[in-house]
Amino acid sequence: MRLRAVSVLVVLAALAAIVAGRLLRRLPPPPPAATAPAEPPAEALVSPRPPGRPGGQLVVALRAEPRTLNPLTAADNPSQTVIWRLMADLVHVDRRSQLPVPALARRVTTSDDGRRFRLELRRGVRFSDGHPLDAGDVVFSLRAYLDEEIAAPQRDLLIVGGRPPAVRRLDDYTVEVELAAPYAVGERLFDGFAVLPEHRLAAAYAEGRLASAWDLATAPEEVVGLGPFRLVRYLPGQRLELERNPHYWKVDAAGQRLPYLERLIFLFVPSEDAQVLRFQAGESQLIDGLSGANFAALEAGAAARGLRLLDLGPGLSYSFVVFNLNDVDPAALPAVARKQRWFRQLAFRRAVSLAIDRRALAEVVYHGRATPIATHVSPGNKLWHNAALKPPRRSLERARALLAEAGFAAGEDGRLRDAAGEPVAFSILTSAGNRERAQMAAMIQADLAPLGIAVRVVSLEFGTFLERLFDSFDYEAAILALGGGDVDPNSDVAVLSSSGAHHLWHLGQPAPATPWEAEIDRLMSAQMTARDPAVRRELYHRVQELVAENVPMIFLLSPNVLVGAHREVGNFAPAILHHPTLWNADELYRRAPAPAGGR
Amino acid sequence: MLRVVGRRLLHAAVLVLAVSAACFVLAELVPGDFLAPARLDPRASAESLEALRARYGLDRPLHQRYLSWLGSVLRGEMGHSLAYGVPVAPLVLGRAGNTLLLSVPATALAWLLALILGAWGARRPGGWGDRLSLGLGATLQAVPELVLALLALLVAARSGIFPLGGMASLSAGELGFWGRLVDVLRHLALPTLVLALALVPVLLRHVRAALSEALEQSFVHAARGHGVGELRLLLTYALPAAAPPLLALFGLSAGTLLSGSLVVEVVMSWPGLGPLLLDAVFARDLHVIVGATLLSGLLLVAGNLLADLLLYAVDPRLRRPGATP
Repeated sequence: MRLRAVSVLVVLAALAAIVAGRLLRRLPPPPPAATAPAEPPAEALVSPRPPGRPGGQLVVALRAEPRTLNPLTAADNPSQTVIWRLMADLVHVDRRSQLPVPALARRVTTSDDGRRFRLELRRGVRFSDGHPLDAGDVVFSLRAYLDEEIAAPQRDLLIVGGRPPAVRRLDDYTVEVELAAPYAVGERLFDGFAVLPEHRLAAAYAEGRLASAWDLATAPEEVVGLGPFRLVRYLPGQRLELERNPHYWKVDAAGQRLPYLERLIFLFVPSEDAQVLRFQAGESQLIDGLSGANFAALEAGAAARGLRLLDLGPGLSYSFVVFNLNDVDPAALPAVARKQRWFRQLAFRRAVSLAIDRRALAEVVYHGRATPIATHVSPGNKLWHNAALKPPRRSLERARALLAEAGFAAGEDGRLRDAAGEPVAFSILTSAGNRERAQMAAMIQADLAPLGIAVRVVSLEFGTFLERLFDSFDYEAAILALGGGDVDPNSDVAVLSSSGAHHLWHLGQPAPATPWEAEIDRLMSAQMTARDPAVRRELYHRVQELVAENVPMIFLLSPNVLVGAHREVGNFAPAILHHPTLWNADELYRRAPAPAGGR
Repeated sequence: MLRVVGRRLLHAAVLVLAVSAACFVLAELVPGDFLAPARLDPRASAESLEALRARYGLDRPLHQRYLSWLGSVLRGEMGHSLAYGVPVAPLVLGRAGNTLLLSVPATALAWLLALILGAWGARRPGGWGDRLSLGLGATLQAVPELVLALLALLVAARSGIFPLGGMASLSAGELGFWGRLVDVLRHLALPTLVLALALVPVLLRHVRAALSEALEQSFVHAARGHGVGELRLLLTYALPAAAPPLLALFGLSAGTLLSGSLVVEVVMSWPGLGPLLLDAVFARDLHVIVGATLLSGLLLVAGNLLADLLLYAVDPRLRRPGATP
């Protein structure tokens, strides 16, 4: 009996210890209060937006936790979201106009041959720890980004003409970057490269630890940047808190130093439904990445709750069906090789494209919050979209006519057969877990049935899906999505160029397989060096025409970017480029700031 | 008894080796790795991906990666998370604590409910109390845990009484001990209830069956004949007799303390192992997956050991010389 009592007591004591340990654990203390900010730098950048009201905090829910605070290695969305509130770049692409504007570099001068960029830094700018910025920090940062050992995801963007650029410090506030070949992208090249504090990271770099620096266990005061905020604390699984950087280098029209917000808090909320409920309840003030269904749910009663919901129109990502036109071994993949006879016929691809009802896809899958597209360049890309190209409207008559011209005919059983009498049937691969694409594949299956084409939808785990797409080529058709980066045509080179790593319909071509692919290669190469934006636009519009005419991919939809904010958030100016709601976090303010610590 | 503990520790060591080796082999069999999603990133060239693969050691043979992981286990790191760039041990242990904070009270509540409802039903099998408790159990079993969690969130949103997920309010750091206690309890209430309700059906059936059988024993009838009251009969006579199978089940349920709350944690934003593990599975962050799986396995061993100890405590036959639990 006594032993029984002791056992029960031991169990209870263990439980109590766990609970008490959790409850008694205090939050790590915040770093010392910000030192009183000095006067804004003489060359402070003036925000074009109306002056706001300082104070208060904003809460934003993230679907996943950031994985690192290191701009050199961050590749995931949550890390980028946090990092770009802590860091700043030399030139910044204005997310609304989609054009580059000066940032830490007050002026960028390009040489006549388009190879050399002279970047003049703003004077008097300081890092969030008060240390002054100079050209040495810029040279250090670019060197780190270009380091092969670090393998920063942005590194490849700086490799022009097959070689990394030469970076020279001309004086304390001027840096010259010389490319191996002319590059039409111009100063846009410097967007997305954070300027790092050499005084903090030089030792880590010398010791070969830079790639692993600034993980989430790093002390907040060690993470130093030039962004509007600085790190206060990170609570694993719960939240990450930022406070205003007192040394920030932007002011508003009234001369007030930005940012307005005292705190920016990222809550980690793994499910979209929970995010929506929290936004609706006022526990977070901004939301992005909404699905059509949740957007519709929030719209009901939005006005009464003081919510602003905005459909920003199509973003940059695009979904498509791609047929396997790769060189496959007929002995290893006989069915695929046989069906490639159909896939290689332009009339067949066009007929399939014409049979798909893109508007119905948008209505059913995205609740009408997606836009049918003609090519990989969505109408959301203001600078480069070729508006003359319209997405095909569904026409079974035209589809049947094209198939008949190509020698296909419907049999007595209603099934479409090729000239050799083989029934036309193929499978569409989709990655498991992506509900939208699975739904689209099922609807395409139904769309093609009236033509007598039998489609089988095969859902595969993502890694297996990619392996079939990129390595084994063991698939007939696949549905997936790409895009979402920058608007510039150069971000599509990997897809369009016949030797590109994302030339999905036919990978690893030693030479262009078709005349139109050779033409696209030539046009893409020409636009990469054309200095005149009008000439560049003309070249890229022609690329889009060739893509639309030859249908290497059957483009479907570009999902609209759906965002929301509480009305109390001032200067809310969402955009389709990343980050849609926080890109101007330095200008956001609370019309009626909540007390610190409250919600 | 010491022999039992020693044997269990040996089991734990074998389990670590077997589970970890299985995880490594299975991960190897599945196409793709941590860097697979980067293949769709237009910024990343094939050369850069190869450089990253070399940096992460993904280009090394399986046995080398496994041995180096075992070495890191011996150093107390449990491997290295590719996604977070930090050792796995601190990453998972902190969150495992949060998971236990949720799952221990939930399991205790589930057992309490199952014992009450099971005893109620077992007293008069086929009676209205029995039918009601079995009906309740069947209904709860039919409702997926995900739906229960979403319903709880909806209740929280509509009522405003409970928080909409998370483990603490933003202002919790400024509160005193009692304030923090109340704050955590408010955050714990709904996820604990959801998890407990999801656990109850299975436990209920076992408790009812064990107690029904015990109540039919002749010594229970004799006690009843001697005028022992129903409550005392249940607590003092039937429950100890029904204990062995229930304690074995308790040991098994301890093994699910870390893994059983994954869905609830994700839906209700509880900062436990669930969201981390889900993220790790999608990202193919192998060492985090193995680390979390191992912790679960070790807890199962610990749960079974605890069950054995409790059985030893409640069953006098096992304390006789020569008896083994």
